[in-house]
Amino acid sequence: MSDQGMSGWSLELLGAAKQRLEALGLDLARAPEEARRAAEAAHATLMSGAGVRSATYLLLILFIGIAVEWLYWTYAYSPLRAAQSAPALTPLHALRLGLRLLLLRGSGLLLFTAAALGASAAFTWPPHVHPLVVFATLFLLVLRAAWMGVGILIAPGRPHRRLVPVAPRAARWLAAALLAAIFLLACGSFLPAMVESGGVAAHHIASALRLAAYTAAAALLVALSLALFGRPGSRGAAGAARAPLFPRSFPLAMLVVFVYAVWLLSPRAAPVAAILAVVVGLQIGLHDMVYFYWHSEDETAGKPADREALPAIALSLARFVVALAGIGAAALALDTPVSALAESSSPWVGVGLRLLGVAVLALLAHGVWIAVRSVVDQRLSRIAPADPHQPPDASSRLLTLLPLLRVTTAVVLLVLLVLSSLWALGIEITPLLAGAGVVGLALGFGAQALVRDVIAGVFYLAEDAFRVGEYVEGAGNTKGTVERITLRSVALRHHNGPLHFVPYGALGSVRNTSRDWVIDKFNLPLPIEVESEKIRKMIKKIGEQLKEDTALGQHLMEPLKGKLYRVDPGVKVFRCKFRCPPGKQFDLRAAALKRIEAALKEMGLGYAAGVNTVIVKG
Amino acid sequence: MRGEALIRRARLASGLVLMAFVTCHLANLSLGLRSLAEMEAWRMLLTAPWTRGAGLWLLGAAGTIHLSLGLYAVAARRSLALSTTDVMQLALGLAIPPLAIAHVVATATANAVSPGFASNYGQILAVYWSFAPFYAFLQLFVVVFVWMHAAIGLYSWLVLKPVWRRIGGLVIPVLFAVPVLALLGFAQAGQEVLDKLASDPAWKQMILDNVGRIAKVTRELADFQRAAIWTYLAAVAAAFAILGARILRHRRRPLAVAYDGGARAGGRHGLSILEFSRLNDVPHAHVCSGRGRCGTCRVRVESGADRLSAPGDLERDTLARVHAGAGERLACQARVLDEGVAVTRLLPAFADASAARAPQEWPGGQAAAAAESRT
Repeated sequence: MSDQGMSGWSLELLGAAKQRLEALGLDLARAPEEARRAAEAAHATLMSGAGVRSATYLLLILFIGIAVEWLYWTYAYSPLRAAQSAPALTPLHALRLGLRLLLLRGSGLLLFTAAALGASAAFTWPPHVHPLVVFATLFLLVLRAAWMGVGILIAPGRPHRRLVPVAPRAARWLAAALLAAIFLLACGSFLPAMVESGGVAAHHIASALRLAAYTAAAALLVALSLALFGRPGSRGAAGAARAPLFPRSFPLAMLVVFVYAVWLLSPRAAPVAAILAVVVGLQIGLHDMVYFYWHSEDETAGKPADREALPAIALSLARFVVALAGIGAAALALDTPVSALAESSSPWVGVGLRLLGVAVLALLAHGVWIAVRSVVDQRLSRIAPADPHQPPDASSRLLTLLPLLRVTTAVVLLVLLVLSSLWALGIEITPLLAGAGVVGLALGFGAQALVRDVIAGVFYLAEDAFRVGEYVEGAGNTKGTVERITLRSVALRHHNGPLHFVPYGALGSVRNTSRDWVIDKFNLPLPIEVESEKIRKMIKKIGEQLKEDTALGQHLMEPLKGKLYRVDPGVKVFRCKFRCPPGKQFDLRAAALKRIEAALKEMGLGYAAGVNTVIVKG
Repeated sequence: MRGEALIRRARLASGLVLMAFVTCHLANLSLGLRSLAEMEAWRMLLTAPWTRGAGLWLLGAAGTIHLSLGLYAVAARRSLALSTTDVMQLALGLAIPPLAIAHVVATATANAVSPGFASNYGQILAVYWSFAPFYAFLQLFVVVFVWMHAAIGLYSWLVLKPVWRRIGGLVIPVLFAVPVLALLGFAQAGQEVLDKLASDPAWKQMILDNVGRIAKVTRELADFQRAAIWTYLAAVAAAFAILGARILRHRRRPLAVAYDGGARAGGRHGLSILEFSRLNDVPHAHVCSGRGRCGTCRVRVESGADRLSAPGDLERDTLARVHAGAGERLACQARVLDEGVAVTRLLPAFADASAARAPQEWPGGQAAAAAESRT
């Protein structure tokens, strides 16, 4: 059934195409004769009072347009010169200057057009002349806009002002060919309209003119894409160092041929095809065009632009904007109000709209993903890897959370995208979710522990219980330095080497020994004869020396102090303590002990001997 | 160099005379907005004085002087580094004589063949609107071209004068209004004439007779016109040929000029510094496009002052007017004769006419004024 529908549709299309080609041939054959008659009629009209009146009014509106624009330039010329003569330091700066030029020159052009068109409305034109004048003014507008746009974009002869990546030698050719192509296209769309708006029947001429102009434009564009984008050597500066990813010239040429063929077969579909082709062509070149603006800056800085977040975001945004603009332009070109489109019963329209929706969703998700990923990557690359000997600072929390955030974003985006795409495609997701609910119930019982782990993990992270690089002790004798944090578990490296994988659910109360400070205490057993006060002063002095003399001593947060703690038979036990950042206590204690021992030796003392002398009074 | 200044003054004066005539003529045409009769009534005052006696002589002399000095200016150029305004001015000016000659010749001959015919607006308009619309087209273009040429010339001369601040607000509306009103008057009167032709057979017959009489001499007229146009084209070609020869001759002597900020510009022997800048896209202020009037292109010569052409009277006057310091030259007048010239541009490239009217308010001018007050 569908097979037959398909073939029938193809046959219909081919039949229509054949008719259309035959009509074109007929137009070509009849055009010269018709042109002769039309020229005679036009000459007769021109050489009369009506012709003189039309010419007078035409010159009037031209003069008014030129005068208004000239008046504008007497004010705007100085800013224009400033924008033209300012040196462009970077491509981004060139872009800003280019936009300023566009604004200045575009305003002049718009003023000219508005003044000419506005003035034309004030006159009573002879019949059929006013549309002709309006078309001619718009034609002029398109040509001048193309001249201005190509001049600003490609800036032939001013490499620093170029806004697109084009090799210097190719710039002039590209500019000239683009202008010629735009001129031909404008001829193809305006001249026939002008011819047809005259009083005489001129359908065949219009058709032949269109055919000639569009054929020439298509040929020119095909030649342009094959000649300028073909050779690897002729690619823009931005692409020079990169390996060629994708052929450019051939698809571009094919796009042109495709649009031309569509126009040949069905002129009504041509605008949409043209928009599609422009969107695809832009998407092909967009990477180079966007990275062009960051390239030369990074060349001096010596880091690859591909790692930067900004161009990646800009690129994805640009892709999105180009696609949306294309869709908008296509909707405009089709001249169908969107509301009517949504109510259309044709299955093709429905499928098309839904695919469009999916594409928009995918683009959005891609944009968000690129933005999150580049920001995360950039932050991560800026933070140095965690040093276990340094106290963890704010960046270690980022180091903990950022990779997690990246993965979570990816999963959430993917799930959302899949679900909303299904919904956009018209597939009911409610039963799916409900089904998932039933299965989920079953799974849920099984995955209770998993859920507990994940939820517990969220709270651990939210409360900042530990970060990568910290030494923690959990329930069940699990301890070690935090190495990796995932959604479900934490990996702890024991100081002897083994790696514990502890699910958050089993982590229990966490003892984090790497936060803020620690207090270290140790005992000094000394012989019972020593003078307590002397020892206390000695330890205090050593504490001060330690703080001042050594690099290690800087870490002391509270100085080393000692006092008599206990008196045992034959032994006086002194207890020393100090406060320092986590991880420093071991080294500090060793240093303190070393100095105390030296000091004791100097005083002629030693630690209490471990021998209890029993004196038996006999 | 006194001659150079004299030539400029003569071109300006002849242009002003021509513009006065055109303004009168167009003002007369614009009366067609009221009625044909009104137009006719004012003709004696506005147009007729220019068509006889001293008026005619003045007009003819001014036309000849302006045209030949214009061609001389083309021939005296050293390069084609022109601003957009200059290109427009030149193209419009060159297009005017071939377009206008038909009108001039036809009006003169018609007067000779049937006295009183051509000096009647109604009859001339009838010819234009009904019998020979081709001449009407030529006329329309002449009006717009002449006026644009004149307006550009007048504006770029007056805008540099301090008086522009007071009269600018008055001159610009007049520059806009005159041709618009004239063309509207032309259209309105044309419609009136067409109506009269349809309703007044006797008048129509009278015009037909006159047209017939002129048609007899059309052949000679056409021959004369063709000869005149060819002569003119030959003169234009000669002017451009002299310019081309000069460019070609100096092509073999390439030179370079160094600017502040490390810019360099290549050019030919004999070009002015400003032409070096323009040919190489070096930002350089030039409000009067190299006529030596505005002083905005002035540079301080850092080295190689002896390799520049000596300053003329025009340059000295302008430099004195803008209070230029020692060692400063007008880039548009100083021609480069040898290697080793280095200059510093004194005004930013976006300097506008106010820099010529009030030089002390601009950076280069301030420095110069300060230097002057010190000495």
